[in-house]
Amino acid sequence: MNWRPYLLVLLTLGSAMTVRAAPTNDFFATGIELSRAGEFPEAAAAFEKSAGIRPAAGTLVNLGIAEWLRGHAGAAILAWERARWINPFDPRARADLKFARRAAQVDEAELKWFEIQSTWLPPDAWLWLAGASLWLAVGMMTLPQFFRRRKTGWQQVLAAAGLGIFLACLPANLGVISRTNLGFVLKNDAPLLQTPTRTGEVISTLTAGEPARRVRTRGDYYLVRTENESGWVERNAFGLVSE
Amino acid sequence: MRIWRTIFFVLALAPAVTRAQMAVRIPPNVAAQLMVPQPAVDNSQPENISATAEFDPPCVRPGGKAFYRVTITATENSIAWPDKIPAPPELRFGARAHGQLMQPDGTPFHPVSGFVCEITATNAGHFVVSNLVIWVGGRSLEIPAASLDAASQAAASPARKLSLEVSDTNLFIGQPFRVRVILPATSGKRLETLREVQFNGDPVLTDRMATRRSVEAVNHDGQLTPAFIYETVATPLVAGTLNISAQGFTAGGEFGGPMVISVPVTIPSGPPKNVLLVSDAVSLNVRPLPTEAELPGYTGAIGKFFSDPPRLATNRIHLGEPVSLNTTFHGKGDLTRFVPPALPASRDWQIIADDPPDNGFTLIPITDEVQETPAIPFSYFDPATAKYVDLSIPPLPVTVVGERLPEQLPPADDEAGNTEPLKLTGLAATPGKAVATLTPLQLRGWFVGGQLVPVLGFLVLWQWDRRRRFLEAHPEIGRRRQAIRALRREKIKMKIAIESGSSTAFVIHAAEAMRIAVAPMYPANPVALVGGDVLTQLDQAARNGRAGETVKKIFAAADEQFSIGPKTQADLLALAADVETVLQQLEEKL
Repeated sequence: MNWRPYLLVLLTLGSAMTVRAAPTNDFFATGIELSRAGEFPEAAAAFEKSAGIRPAAGTLVNLGIAEWLRGHAGAAILAWERARWINPFDPRARADLKFARRAAQVDEAELKWFEIQSTWLPPDAWLWLAGASLWLAVGMMTLPQFFRRRKTGWQQVLAAAGLGIFLACLPANLGVISRTNLGFVLKNDAPLLQTPTRTGEVISTLTAGEPARRVRTRGDYYLVRTENESGWVERNAFGLVSE
Repeated sequence: MRIWRTIFFVLALAPAVTRAQMAVRIPPNVAAQLMVPQPAVDNSQPENISATAEFDPPCVRPGGKAFYRVTITATENSIAWPDKIPAPPELRFGARAHGQLMQPDGTPFHPVSGFVCEITATNAGHFVVSNLVIWVGGRSLEIPAASLDAASQAAASPARKLSLEVSDTNLFIGQPFRVRVILPATSGKRLETLREVQFNGDPVLTDRMATRRSVEAVNHDGQLTPAFIYETVATPLVAGTLNISAQGFTAGGEFGGPMVISVPVTIPSGPPKNVLLVSDAVSLNVRPLPTEAELPGYTGAIGKFFSDPPRLATNRIHLGEPVSLNTTFHGKGDLTRFVPPALPASRDWQIIADDPPDNGFTLIPITDEVQETPAIPFSYFDPATAKYVDLSIPPLPVTVVGERLPEQLPPADDEAGNTEPLKLTGLAATPGKAVATLTPLQLRGWFVGGQLVPVLGFLVLWQWDRRRRFLEAHPEIGRRRQAIRALRREKIKMKIAIESGSSTAFVIHAAEAMRIAVAPMYPANPVALVGGDVLTQLDQAARNGRAGETVKKIFAAADEQFSIGPKTQADLLALAADVETVLQQLEEKL
């Protein structure tokens, strides 16, 4: 039995369900017009609405540009990071992030090896790949028995390859989960507090666009860990990439 | 040369004769006098102090009321007025009032104090309040005697007094109400004004800023009479039944300020006769404000108010740029005590209230992330419905423009050979690749649930394979099931044959059904079986009984279908019940 056409169809469907080209909506077109007119606050609001309806890499790149030009470095960096989250191969998001980090004097987030691996493909693709490869391996090992066919060499090769791909995808999926806690400071001089209260003692202030990892959530505050210190920051002053 | 010497000399002496201009320092007492004019009061000659005493009116009917009025040319606080005045027991003392007036008949002013006591003569007669010695400023002063005649045939001339009118007698604490003190003109339409009007009794707050004086025609004793009207706004301060009365000194033709005169009157000339008049008390029923259902932003406003839609000077402002938010409140009645909305606390806006009487605000955005002005809560209490009414200023959409960040950076030194400046990319023309949500599949439950589908598929396959292997090991199970299904079909055909009255079809299907029912027991193909094979599968008793006979008849009739000789015309349909019994017995063995 020839399994290859079915496997191709499965992978194509999985990929199509994960990432697809978004149609241009009214908010996106409005945002472009407002950006060209120099009305960046309104343009940012339009792009934000468009991204709220359907997050798309191009929309988020434009949102980042509008936020940057209205003076919101943190929101711009977060938008571009989200664009890269959807499409890691987006050259605009990559270039704009490089530019913004140099202009705002903030560093890139330090990623662990499995998180770096997870940036090679879109997050959902890793899970589809892991699921497809696992069931491919299981299928190649069991289906010939069910259908009383002799296991052929190519079936065994496919089973081994599926198992190998599945095992290789595991760290990347772990990296995706780990990166869901990665976020960026939205407001300049956002206070890092000792306690999750409005009157909490200020440990230090964070720069807009500075990366941090969410450790815990309590009420309107995130407990975050930056490169050097930990503390509580208000939720509206910190944005998670995957939220 | 002499000129230069003179100039040098003058310049050298200049520091000694000139000095920097200093701020004028005003002594505190002088400053107080500048702020509030304080006329000097003549109290330097205590021996010139005089006193008068009279009854108004001097003649009353028994049971009628009169006022015992004493006027002393001294300051009120220098007079030690006795608590009890010696008088005949037939005179019953009622409400008392006292006041002070400064007569501006020269410089310094001359003080006049008045003491009034309401007196009721219980019996007819001539009553005298004898002369009385009191202490004024440490010296004794004799109050002259005064007499009152009470006679049943006395003319009914009422005592001269003030009228007190209020706009409402059912009130809430803090609810302003208008109060009018009326002094009707005397005979000949001679009108006198009032000075030093004040209210006695339970505590009410009067607003001198809202005072209005006028001359109007009022209904006095059934006829329109010109009257001096002192009108102001008062506010009850405590709950309960409040009794208030008014008092004031007649001031002749002294106006002392603007006054509206709408009826013809005669203004008396000459020095005024300052007489302290009082009014009857008026009762007010004052209720406390309900504490439940009080709305946010209540500043104490009581009445009926409206507001125009708020107006923002512009809805596009730069960070830190002030913008004015104007709103106008209208109200029925007095607005002098109207307290505008309190400033709300906002982390995103600096809010400054405009100076009264304006009710607007100046708003300064602190952050450029705000998209609307802060809501300013405000409510008032409507005494007509006894409910609080929301009149909050709603948030208005606004765009705050922040400072732009650079769009281009010079090339970095560490980038060897790269002389291209770093700059922002252009706008993306299309949305590009999109996802349903940024939350990855790894954190969504449905994907994990979706993995159960292939698991279930494999389980079904495994179970199917197991069953298949079991049936292969036990083929009789399959044959029996096959026989049961075939038997069911033949029974249906047999039933149709019975219903259609076809004896031939009935016999064929009955025989076929019996062969099918016994086939798995050999096992054999049903086509290869005969009646004897069916009889073999019956019990001994059944075989020799009616069942055996039925089988024989059916198979004999079935075999006769293929005979070329004459066919028996027996009614085989009558065997339907017996055939059913036989089939039931055979089916039980399957």
